[in-house]
Amino acid sequence: MKMHVRLLGFLFSIVLVCSVLSSVGNAQEPIVIGIPTSLGFLEGKESLSAVEMAVDEINAAGGVKVGASKKPFKVESIDLRDAAPGVPVPEALLGLEKIILEKKPAALVVGPFRSEALMAGMDIIAKYKVPLLGTIAMSPGSEKKIQEDPAKYKYVFRTCLNAVHLVKYLSGTMGLINKEFGFNKVYIMHQDVAWARATAELVKKLYFDTAGWTVVGLESYPTGTSDFSSALMKIRSQGAQVIMPVFDMPQSGTLVKQWNAMKVPAILSGFISPLAGSGAWNTFDGKIGGATNTIFELGSGIGSDKHPPSKDFYDNYMKKYGKEIQAGHGPAPSYESVYILKEAIERAGSLDPDAIVAELEKTDRNGVMGRVKFDAGHQVVYAFDPQEASVSTVFQWNDNGRRVIVFPETIAEGKIQLPKGLKSLK
Amino acid sequence: MFIGTIIYAVINSFILIMLAMGFNLTFGISGVANFAYGALYVLSAYTSWILLNLLKMPYLLSVMISILLTALLGGLIYRLVLVRVRGQALSEVIATFGIGLAIVELFSYFGLVGFEYTLPVFIDHSFLIAGTYVDAQRLFIVGIGLVLVLGLWLFTHHTSIGLAFRGIAQDERTALTFGIDSDRIATLSMSLGAGLAAIAATIIFPLGSIAPAEGYDVLIKALAVCIIGGLGSSGGVIVAGFVIGFAERFTDTYIGSHWTMIISLMAILLVLVIKPSGLFGKQKELEERI
Repeated sequence: MKMHVRLLGFLFSIVLVCSVLSSVGNAQEPIVIGIPTSLGFLEGKESLSAVEMAVDEINAAGGVKVGASKKPFKVESIDLRDAAPGVPVPEALLGLEKIILEKKPAALVVGPFRSEALMAGMDIIAKYKVPLLGTIAMSPGSEKKIQEDPAKYKYVFRTCLNAVHLVKYLSGTMGLINKEFGFNKVYIMHQDVAWARATAELVKKLYFDTAGWTVVGLESYPTGTSDFSSALMKIRSQGAQVIMPVFDMPQSGTLVKQWNAMKVPAILSGFISPLAGSGAWNTFDGKIGGATNTIFELGSGIGSDKHPPSKDFYDNYMKKYGKEIQAGHGPAPSYESVYILKEAIERAGSLDPDAIVAELEKTDRNGVMGRVKFDAGHQVVYAFDPQEASVSTVFQWNDNGRRVIVFPETIAEGKIQLPKGLKSLK
Repeated sequence: MFIGTIIYAVINSFILIMLAMGFNLTFGISGVANFAYGALYVLSAYTSWILLNLLKMPYLLSVMISILLTALLGGLIYRLVLVRVRGQALSEVIATFGIGLAIVELFSYFGLVGFEYTLPVFIDHSFLIAGTYVDAQRLFIVGIGLVLVLGLWLFTHHTSIGLAFRGIAQDERTALTFGIDSDRIATLSMSLGAGLAAIAATIIFPLGSIAPAEGYDVLIKALAVCIIGGLGSSGGVIVAGFVIGFAERFTDTYIGSHWTMIISLMAILLVLVIKPSGLFGKQKELEERI
């Protein structure tokens, strides 16, 4: 009898230990965040680093509270290559499906680089019901799809700037240039990709055509273009005072060098990826004084003392990776997205995608880019005051190699200065 | 603006000639369409950057080492890979394309992405020529392009190795009977082609920044010039370089930049339809090789 009791007790102990161990195991099973993007491009690479930084911070603080247990985040990434010239969208989407099927992520962050890939990928995301917090693709077309069929596409969110909000910033900068110097002739150059095309056309339609500007040229350039001499000659001969470039390709650095070498008497003000980071001064041998550039999200590529979370993020990234963020688009919202996701999961108390989506929609936090709130199209609202919305930044390179924030006024550090050889009309 | 367009068209033509020269030389002599050419071009630029910025070597030494290493790699590709599939055109293309793909993907794998990867210009200055500002680097491209064209002509016409090159290119069987080692010559042609790619990279990359994807663009441009000019024809490369160079710049200035690629592709299509061997190509048809 005693023997039986002992045996039963022993078996019970084993069962108890096993059940405790398995519950511990479940609690420790990580929540996978999938990062499908173009990792061979600066924005993709630094966005992944920003996500990893947020994940490390969250895991170091104990992880994510899911109901009664705490789980760590785990990052899995795949290179979609959708930003590379000549890579067809279907090929990029294979990677998106692969990471969803193989890694079983609870959510995706960063996402496709090109809007063309995002738009096509929305059906895959809807099929597998995986929430996506996009931080690079910018075309407002995805928001339109969400609003047309919210039940199907509700899993797609965007925390970075979109083309519509970028238009507001570019228009604001142009308004400032017009007010300060009286300039009203512009030449628009943009990359031939969805977001840049939409941005350029919208600025023309919504601002230049209504504000009395003369658009002396609007040209699109295939990704990979590396000679802009024809456009720069046209700019000179047609007397444009402002060049508004909209480019995210590495070759757009050539435009800056040619603008300088050909001594074109026009202010460069728009978005050129290679001009965004602090390293541009050395990259361009200090020949970029006077150029203004847009940073899509505060914290990406530049921080501001006037909004401390952005400065903290920028400085902490530097401490962790030993170099400053060079991408003007992606890293800040990527970092922020991990915290947005963490809070949504904790509020939902589960990893059910529908529950996470419902909580993501309620997001309202003071983050790196300012106040983070989603609109009906699941787009984070961008405006001009970090206390009220997320903000972008327009800065100017001065002749000492320093970037001075000139727009919006809430975080501005100085006024726009004209580059050498260009005179104000006022 | 017209004069300015002509000036930049000439520069663009020399850029294209320099990009295609190495590819064309290798094909003309060994018959190998080296699809790793673009990757070697980018590899040499990254090598220069690493030697210059990480190992803090002097500029000239960095560039020399980079050119030599790239040339050596070109030769190694032939000796280790191509010699086993020699004569099988499709296998040669697949092998070189695979190697090129691997090299380009390695750049991304090692995180060589960003905008800080640039090579310095030789002289930082702009000159006013006929009312148009042209930077010194572009003038160097024209100058070095001319020197290379002339140098290659002298090499192939006035040196024993050069004559052996031409012998193999014109009639391999006859050259073999004269005791010319065709494998050795083919190895040298691969090395020289890769070296020329490295020289082109050294003087063209300072115009912009180094990016892995450039490898694909360079390969496409080199192929376009060679196909129009006629694979293996040195004169053809020069003529085709000017045809495409001028077409691109004039299209860009007077029609629109997004038409430049279409014009180039249409030119290739037209040449292939009318004369598949290219403007100055030998009578063998293109499909024999690619």
